[in-house]
Amino acid sequence: MSFPLARSAAGLALLAGLTAGCSTAVTAHSTAPKPTATAHSATPKPTATAHSAAPKPVTTPPSPPVTTPPATTPAAPPTTMPAQPANPIPQGNGGDQDGDNNGGPSDGDGNI
Amino acid sequence: MTARITRRGRYALAMIAAAAAITVAVVAFALPGGSPGRTFPSLVPAAAPAGWPHLTLPDGTAVLSYPPSLRRVAGDKDAVSAARLSPGGTYQLYLNATPRQGAERLRQWAAFRLSLLRSDDAASAHEVAAAEGVKFRGGTGSCVIDNYVTRIGGHHYEEIACLVQGQAAASVIVAAAPAAAWVQARPLLLQAVAAYLVR
Repeated sequence: MSFPLARSAAGLALLAGLTAGCSTAVTAHSTAPKPTATAHSATPKPTATAHSAAPKPVTTPPSPPVTTPPATTPAAPPTTMPAQPANPIPQGNGGDQDGDNNGGPSDGDGNI
Repeated sequence: MTARITRRGRYALAMIAAAAAITVAVVAFALPGGSPGRTFPSLVPAAAPAGWPHLTLPDGTAVLSYPPSLRRVAGDKDAVSAARLSPGGTYQLYLNATPRQGAERLRQWAAFRLSLLRSDDAASAHEVAAAEGVKFRGGTGSCVIDNYVTRIGGHHYEEIACLVQGQAAASVIVAAAPAAAWVQARPLLLQAVAAYLVR
């Protein structure tokens, strides 16, 4: 009597496992082609320009400036960094002798 | 044969239970507002109730209103503070307003505040919630709710700290209480923050 029930349960679990496996496989496949596609599209371009550049040496100089823009991208991260506060006020009744230098709640000063 | 079927059945049930647990976990993480404690409370700017005293910053750019149960306490020359102290002198409620002094900015204010706490008077500081574009009386601000432990005395405080930009200048309002009393203190402190007036 319990055999069909167990069999159907096992089948359901197998189905769930298969769908999980398929979904991961799909995502893996969907992510993988992107880099390869760009890699393939990127490689022909230089060869095409190289071939066209061979008869006409004048066309080769414009290609080096194309490589310079990526150098400007690393400059972006420093702007997102939070501003560092100034030198901390000494604790233990130091500096302006505020409550926050003696274990009290911190006030709203900018540490100056 | 029967033992084999039973083993299969157990395996199937275990698989179903595991799948159900994963589904519940995924749904719990995906649901918006899953952690209500980390949501910044809505702040509706409103004038302080009648009878609340006011403290104007020495440069005149902001007005701090505080409940009558607090009294003015000493602080920086360019700032104003009010607090309720216990008979033993420990802080129960604390309000402070200070003109913008350093590199405070509305963007990434929370990160700045936490960095300042850690570098100045706190042994540790943790963000609870943060918001930008918060409306104030006369301006807009960025706010953070965080908790920290002081280096001196190891006191654990929770605070709401806002950098508020008015038409003429920016200033910081801090409302703090011991972390253990934060839940009780929070409504009153939020009311004081909502009553903060900038020019």
